[in-house]
Amino acid sequence: MFIHLFNGLVYGALLIIMCSGLALIYGLRRVVNFAHGSLYMLGAYIGYTVMLKTNFWVALAVAPAVMALFGVLLDRYGFRLLQNRDPLTVVLVTFGLLLVLEDFVVAVWGKTNLSVSTPAALAFSVDMFGHAVPAYRIAVIFVGAAVALGLTAWLRLSRAGLFVRSASTDPVTTAMQGVNTDRLSAFVVGLGCALAGLAGVVAAPFLSLSPSMSSDVIIDSFVVVVVGGLGSLAGAFIAAMVLGMVQALGTVWLPGSSVLLPFLLMIAVLIWKPAGFAGSRT
Amino acid sequence: MKTSHLSIATVAALAIGAAVAFGLSSGTLLSLLTQATHYAIFALGVGLLLRQNGMVSFGHALYFGSSGYIIAILLQLKAVPAEAAVGIAVLGLTAFAFVIGLVIVRVPGVAFGMLTLAIGQMAFLTASRSRGLTGGADGMNVDWPSTLFGVPTELLLKPAGMLILSWSVLVLVLLGLGVLLRGRFGSVTEATRDNEERARFIGIRTLLPRAAVYALSGGITSLAGVLAALNTGFISPEGLHWSLSGVALMMVVVGGTRVLWGPALGAAVYFLAKDVLGDHAQHWMAIFGTALIVVIVFAPEGLSGALCRLLRTPRRQPPAPAAGNPSARVAH
Repeated sequence: MFIHLFNGLVYGALLIIMCSGLALIYGLRRVVNFAHGSLYMLGAYIGYTVMLKTNFWVALAVAPAVMALFGVLLDRYGFRLLQNRDPLTVVLVTFGLLLVLEDFVVAVWGKTNLSVSTPAALAFSVDMFGHAVPAYRIAVIFVGAAVALGLTAWLRLSRAGLFVRSASTDPVTTAMQGVNTDRLSAFVVGLGCALAGLAGVVAAPFLSLSPSMSSDVIIDSFVVVVVGGLGSLAGAFIAAMVLGMVQALGTVWLPGSSVLLPFLLMIAVLIWKPAGFAGSRT
Repeated sequence: MKTSHLSIATVAALAIGAAVAFGLSSGTLLSLLTQATHYAIFALGVGLLLRQNGMVSFGHALYFGSSGYIIAILLQLKAVPAEAAVGIAVLGLTAFAFVIGLVIVRVPGVAFGMLTLAIGQMAFLTASRSRGLTGGADGMNVDWPSTLFGVPTELLLKPAGMLILSWSVLVLVLLGLGVLLRGRFGSVTEATRDNEERARFIGIRTLLPRAAVYALSGGITSLAGVLAALNTGFISPEGLHWSLSGVALMMVVVGGTRVLWGPALGAAVYFLAKDVLGDHAQHWMAIFGTALIVVIVFAPEGLSGALCRLLRTPRRQPPAPAAGNPSARVAH
């Protein structure tokens, strides 16, 4: 039981890293980024290649940096040009991007599963409540918590965070007050993509790399951001943890139908509150 | 188009289909056209929802795959004759879609898409996990009897027979929709799509028509599923996966929804371009993804819209829906 809850916590932490990017991009650009899972996968594969040449810690820095650059370009030459178009059209553009990225990953790295070994510094177990728990997974929980706290502090306390919050509420008025919302959006989309890349590298040592890893995680991420309220970071953090726990408890109590639980949760929440728990918009 | 014109066009289209089916000797080309026709019907279902309701579904594979599964299971249990199984599948799924629609069409915008995605994925996971009934991820065979609606199944399974059947279904679906949408139902759903609140002010009850559009769109998609199950005699969870819904949606977007046949054109382009590319087909999804982005950016009304503008056809149909446009979203 403890080990299930622990693994739920690890998965929740991973979802927090994924979904904070998804929520940030939605907040500024009103785009549900279907390609977010592919960016996570691309980050993991880039991390893998970097790891072959150097080590895990370099990959942890390089892959998010590459994805950040990708995100800035995506915003500059994609979302910015399409910002006056209907949001659902832009969603379909990200779906096209998903197909291109999936094909790119298969073309470069092949279809076979690749595995990444746990970095040596964290390749030990910790004894918790009588269970041997891999230290790496504890570190994942800390990374998730750090991302959540870091982003919250940045949004609440810094000047740029204030701009992001106001642009999420009303981009036009924010721009009229003299904030360069285009540059702000490029930065935020870059940050969101970097977080997807970070999630990919972090997940690599305990989930194997395969071309299907993106679709496994993107649906869960959608469930999280929709349940939490689109564009709401705090909602996404809570929903990510709830989803991790629901899956953990589901495997214990309802082994047959635990995979359906996230969807039932999402359907129930959306019918009850179409904007999600913490969301004010749809 | 007057009714007489419409019937002439229908007869002509049916005749063209038969002529093509008998005129072509290449089996591969015939089966390619057949497959394109099935997806054309599928895309028509998805396109109808976007055109009349302004809603984007990411879960229509639910109806495509489920119809095959319902028939396969009913035939495996030897519960009912095959004709009844086909009827149960199509009508049952239409009724199911109506009930689901009554609940989910109230949810606006992207959240609606996410709901359809969730419902579709639940069906996918259920089908791939219940090994006893559906064969799990391996899929299951559909044991069609030797005659279907009085026609020997063998005749239907020949490439030419299959194409004529599928093409006729496509033409009749288009005819049916054309007639239906010219009437009050078309005006009511378009008014509701453009501004639900105002539609309600002038005394239109908006929920039932919207749910009916969703049901109709699910029913049409399940027809495509029946044809595909007849063609291949096999059904697997792949037929329920959300990526298939995504592909159908892309056909709709590439084809455009300004004219009724736009989604069908999108499906035809998808399959023909894939065949022309031939050797490069392993990168097909990347190529189609790029094509999708190009069409969205440069031809927002899709290929059919661009074609109409090129031919300067006077506008008979109202403009394509601005899916989820803000004014329509005010109303809850």
